[in-house]
Amino acid sequence: MGDIKRLFTIAFLEKDRWQLYFKGVGVTITVAVFAAVIGVILGTIVALMKLNTGRDGKKRISGVIADIYIDIIRGTPSVLQLMIMWFIILKSVKNGILVASLSFGINSGAYVAEIIRAGILAVDSGQMEAGRSLGLSRFLTMRYIILPQAAKNALPPLCNEFITLLKETAIVGYVGLSDLTRTANQISSATYEAFMPLIGAAVIYFVIIKVLTILCGRLERRLRQSDNR
Amino acid sequence: MITVKNLHKKFGDNHVLRGINYEIDKGEKIVVIGPSGSGKSTFLRCLNLLEVPTEGEIWLDNDCVTDPKVNIDKLRQRMGMVFQHFNLFANLTILENITLAPTKLGLMTPEQAKEKAFALLKRVGLEDKADSYPAQLSGGQKQRIAIVRSLAMNPEVMLFDEPTSALDPEMVGEVLEVMKELAEEGMTMVVVTHEMGFAREVATKVLFMDEGVIKEENEPQEFFSNPKDPRLQDFLSKVL
Repeated sequence: MGDIKRLFTIAFLEKDRWQLYFKGVGVTITVAVFAAVIGVILGTIVALMKLNTGRDGKKRISGVIADIYIDIIRGTPSVLQLMIMWFIILKSVKNGILVASLSFGINSGAYVAEIIRAGILAVDSGQMEAGRSLGLSRFLTMRYIILPQAAKNALPPLCNEFITLLKETAIVGYVGLSDLTRTANQISSATYEAFMPLIGAAVIYFVIIKVLTILCGRLERRLRQSDNR
Repeated sequence: MITVKNLHKKFGDNHVLRGINYEIDKGEKIVVIGPSGSGKSTFLRCLNLLEVPTEGEIWLDNDCVTDPKVNIDKLRQRMGMVFQHFNLFANLTILENITLAPTKLGLMTPEQAKEKAFALLKRVGLEDKADSYPAQLSGGQKQRIAIVRSLAMNPEVMLFDEPTSALDPEMVGEVLEVMKELAEEGMTMVVVTHEMGFAREVATKVLFMDEGVIKEENEPQEFFSNPKDPRLQDFLSKVL
């Protein structure tokens, strides 16, 4: 018992190390939230680009671009994408949080696009036909009828994606950001005690994701309002 | 009012419509019957371009529906459509279902649209359902709402695609009743249906479609009592 207390003191209390974890959590959440926002906006646009076929049902140039984007993002590791962003494409940008958010956002967008596309395809085609038959444009029908229903379909996998994204930010240490994982790693190196920092970080991740899961559940229930019979 | 010239529709190698010529005057009630796969639904869906014809022309008064450059949304505002599976907007309340198109298209203010919606709901006896969601309604109620939703746009013609085929038998009557009232008020209607009683009672002309063409066309009295086409005679002997 006394040993655990000693390890806890070294890992969290000595030299006010708990502040470092807090800062690390701040970096993790900031990058994840910005990336999620970018991912959802980008993903929705890309999904619509993929679904936007011509009158004859053939693919348009926008659909081809969307396909290439998704292929490249899904076909390469996100660590590499992050490093390519930091060391090559945005070499002159010194703000690590910005580069990481952008990199993860662009990465997440590809997965979100497929999730949203599946959500849209799951909406009964009669909904679009009904909207169009009333004289509503494709855009208005999408905006008011299809996307709200698609969002409901897409919410469970979207929550999955956010959770994955949050954990994936653990690689930002590669570009010098001190997120939760890197902080825990640094403290374990500095104190020669790995147990408490690593287990502590794991518990913190778990709690954040548990809260996220609960929020997702609430949102899902609210969106299911119109299903009540 | 609606003129159809040499209408063809192919789905891949499947030649569904093989040359339809027809003219519908204002105030007419055209009922289209025929075996399944005869192309009657496809014909109806071509009229408001839910299906794009492979060949031929469709005119609504002086506007060419099939012209690729035409603003189809504007023309569709003048043609209401009722579907077999109702297709009410699942994410909106009944009131929102009815007011969405008139308000978003700038044809009515929200107040006007609401007033119109309630007047129409009252007509079909469903004003107490204004705040319900489609999933809470019976099939017959849904279809009456779908008719109301189309009427809220003040269309010049109403297209019905097997409006009672997905209903429980006891709910067919309430929907046909609304359609009959509509007919009596002088609405131009094109109805694809299997309800022979409705055809007999309401139609000004009955069309028999088979193999992608109109095989016979006549006033209901003559159509049912004295069918000429052998395929129609066979069809009627099975359904009557």
